[in-house]
Amino acid sequence: MDQFIQLSIDALTLGSVYALIALGYTLVYGVLKLLNFAHGDVFMVGSFIGFGVLQLLGGTSNPVVPIWALLTLVTLAAMAGCAALGVVIERFAYRPLRDAPRIAPLISALGVSFFLANSMQLLFGATPRNYDTFELSNGALYLRGIDIGNVRLPLLRIITISVAFVMMVLLWFLVNRTRTGKAMRATSFDREAAAMMGIDIDRVIVFTFVLGSALAGAAGVMFALRVPTQVSIGFVAGLKGFTAAVIGGIGSIPGAMAGGLILGFAEAYSQGYISTKWSDLIVFSIMIAFMIFRPQGLLGRADIRKV
Amino acid sequence: MKKSIGFALVVLVTAALAASAQGSPKVVVSALSSQAVSCKSTITLPLVTPVTGGAGFLGAEQGAWAKYAVTSLAKPLGLKIKFVLGDTPVEQGPAPAQTLAQKYIADKSVLVLLGPSTSGAVAASSSAYFQAKMAHISPSATRTDLTQGSTREATSAFFRDVPGDYIQGPTDANYMINKLHVKKVVLLDFQEPYSVGLADAVQAVLNKAGVSTTRLTASNTTTDYSALVTKVPSDADVVFFPTQKPPDAQTFAQQLLEQGKKAKVFGGDGSNDPSQFKATGSYVSNFAPDITGVTSDKGIIAGWKKANPGKAVGSFGPPSYGAAQIALNAIHLACLQGHGTATRQTVLRNIKKVKIKNWILGGSFKWSTKTNDPLNAKFYIFQIQSDGSYKLVG
Repeated sequence: MDQFIQLSIDALTLGSVYALIALGYTLVYGVLKLLNFAHGDVFMVGSFIGFGVLQLLGGTSNPVVPIWALLTLVTLAAMAGCAALGVVIERFAYRPLRDAPRIAPLISALGVSFFLANSMQLLFGATPRNYDTFELSNGALYLRGIDIGNVRLPLLRIITISVAFVMMVLLWFLVNRTRTGKAMRATSFDREAAAMMGIDIDRVIVFTFVLGSALAGAAGVMFALRVPTQVSIGFVAGLKGFTAAVIGGIGSIPGAMAGGLILGFAEAYSQGYISTKWSDLIVFSIMIAFMIFRPQGLLGRADIRKV
Repeated sequence: MKKSIGFALVVLVTAALAASAQGSPKVVVSALSSQAVSCKSTITLPLVTPVTGGAGFLGAEQGAWAKYAVTSLAKPLGLKIKFVLGDTPVEQGPAPAQTLAQKYIADKSVLVLLGPSTSGAVAASSSAYFQAKMAHISPSATRTDLTQGSTREATSAFFRDVPGDYIQGPTDANYMINKLHVKKVVLLDFQEPYSVGLADAVQAVLNKAGVSTTRLTASNTTTDYSALVTKVPSDADVVFFPTQKPPDAQTFAQQLLEQGKKAKVFGGDGSNDPSQFKATGSYVSNFAPDITGVTSDKGIIAGWKKANPGKAVGSFGPPSYGAAQIALNAIHLACLQGHGTATRQTVLRNIKKVKIKNWILGGSFKWSTKTNDPLNAKFYIFQIQSDGSYKLVG
C-alpha cells in the first residue's frame, strides 16, 4: 500500500508537469492547427531562466529573499522569459508561414527546436544545472510535508502539484470566462469568420503563444526544482507533452490536463510495478492505442468533414 | 487532425532514422593505414568524449587535460600537434562514436586517437579503428569485456591507461563487505555496457560473500528516479549506482532521503564529480587518486591551473593527460624508426613500447604484457564529506 501511495504521489507530480507542457501544445494547436515541436525546448529554456534567476538571488545555499519569495520570483521570471520567447518564435518562425502548406510551419518548428537547443548549448555549455533545492533550509522541502500512513508527501511536491493545478484552473477560467478567451475560442473555431467579426487574429495568436510558453516556463521550473536540468531535456519533455496532448485530445484544454495526468500515472505505475525499462514503451503504446481506437483523444472532438 | 498528427509522426520517425543512419557502421578501410605522414607536418590528435549531454562534464575535464598535455609535451618531442574534440553524448548511444570513427579514419593527419571515453562508444567503434590499423587509447572506458574474456568487445587496436571494472567491481564490493559490513545491497544498471558490466562485477563478489542483492534496471534517459526509489527496501544498506551522469547520483540520493530510505549511494567512477555529486555520506570509486597529493605532479598541476584559471583538478582529467602523453611518445618513437615519417601502423606498434617514469597518477607507467591495460593499476574509494569534498577512504 505504501508503494502505491508513493507511486501515486510521483504520478501526480509527473503528471502535473506533463499537463502544463501539454497545455502549450494544445493551445497552439487549437488556434493555429500547428504542432509546435519547439515547445519542449521553450520548457528547457524556462528551466535555465529559472536557474539563472535563482543564482542572481543568491542560490539555494544563501538566498537573499525568503524561500516562498525565491520560488515565486524564479517561477514568474521563467514564465515571463518564456512568454517573450514565444512571441519571438511566433513572429519570426511561424507568422511568415501562416498561409503556407502545413508542412512548412512543421519543419520550421523542428528548426526552431534545434536552434534553441544548440544555441543554449553554445551559450551555457552541456553541464547539467542543479537548482540544489535540497539545500534550502537543510532539506526542509524534501523532509517536511504531510504524512499519509508511512508515506510522506513532501513540501516540494505539494508546491509542484498545487502550482500546476492553480495554473490549469486559471487557464480554464481565462479561456472559458473572459473576453480574450472567447476570442481565442472563436479563432480556433473559424479563423476567417472570427476576423470578419472584428477579432484581431494576430493579437489572439500572439496571446496564445504567450500563454502556452509561459506555462512551459512554469513547467520547466517545476521540473528543475526536483531534477537537474540540461539542454537535452527539451526533446524528451516535448515528446511527453505532445503525447499527453494527443491522449487527452489535442486542442482540448481539459483533455491536455487529463492526458498529462494519465501519462504521469502510466509512467509512475509502470516504473514502480513493472520495470523502468518498459515504462516508455508502455507510455507510447497508450498513445498508439489512442491513435488507433480513439484518434480524437479522450476529450477531443471528432473531426467531422463536410463532403 | 488524425492526418496531421500522423504526418508529424512520419516527420519525426524520418528524422530519427536519418540521424541513426549517419551512425551506421559502414567502415571505410583504405590505404591510409600504411600512408606515411611527415613528422614535420601537423598531426591531428582527436579526443572522442561526451562534450554535450549529461556526461558533458567528462569531455570538458578530459579535453582540458589532454589539450594541456599536447601544449606542454608535443614541442619537446619535436611534434606539431593539432588537438581536436569529437562529441559522443551518452544519451545518443553508439551512433556518434561510429560516425566519428569514419571521420577520423578518413583524415590522413590522424595517426592515433584518444578515446572513446565511454565503454559503449569503444565497443561500437573499435573494429573500425582496428581495420584502419589506428590505435585508440581511452582514458576512462573501464568495462572489463573491452580487453578481456571470451566475448572481447574491443580489438587489439584498443588501449586504456586506467584499470578495468574487473578491478573496480571487486574493489567496490570488498569495501562494502569489509568496511561498511553490508547485509543488503540494491544494484542499478542503465542498460548500457558500462553500468551493466560494473554492476555484474560488484554483484558477483557480493553474492559470493553471502550479501543479499537486488538488481534494478533503469533507462539511460531516466531523469526522475522517484518511482525506482520506491523499490529500494527500507533496510537496504547501499544502493550501487554506476551512472555516467553524476547529477543523477545526486538526484537519486536526495530522492532516497525524501522517501525516508537510509541506504547510502555508492557510485562508480562515472559519478565521480565533486561539483555535481555531493550527497553527504555517499561513496564513489575512481581509477585515479587525488593527484594534488602526488609530489612529482606539482609542476604539471601548476601549469594546468595557469592554462585553466578557476578550474578545479578533478579525477577524470589526469588519465587523459596520460593517454595523450602515451600517444605523443608513440608517435615520437614511430618518427624515429621511420626517419622522419610515421604511419598509423608504426604508431600502433609502438604504443606498448611506451613506458613513463613519472606517471601523472603516481609511480611509473607500464603496460600489462597480457592485455592492453596498465600494469598494477588500482581503484580508489572516496566518501563525500558534509562540505562536498571527496575524502580518500580506501
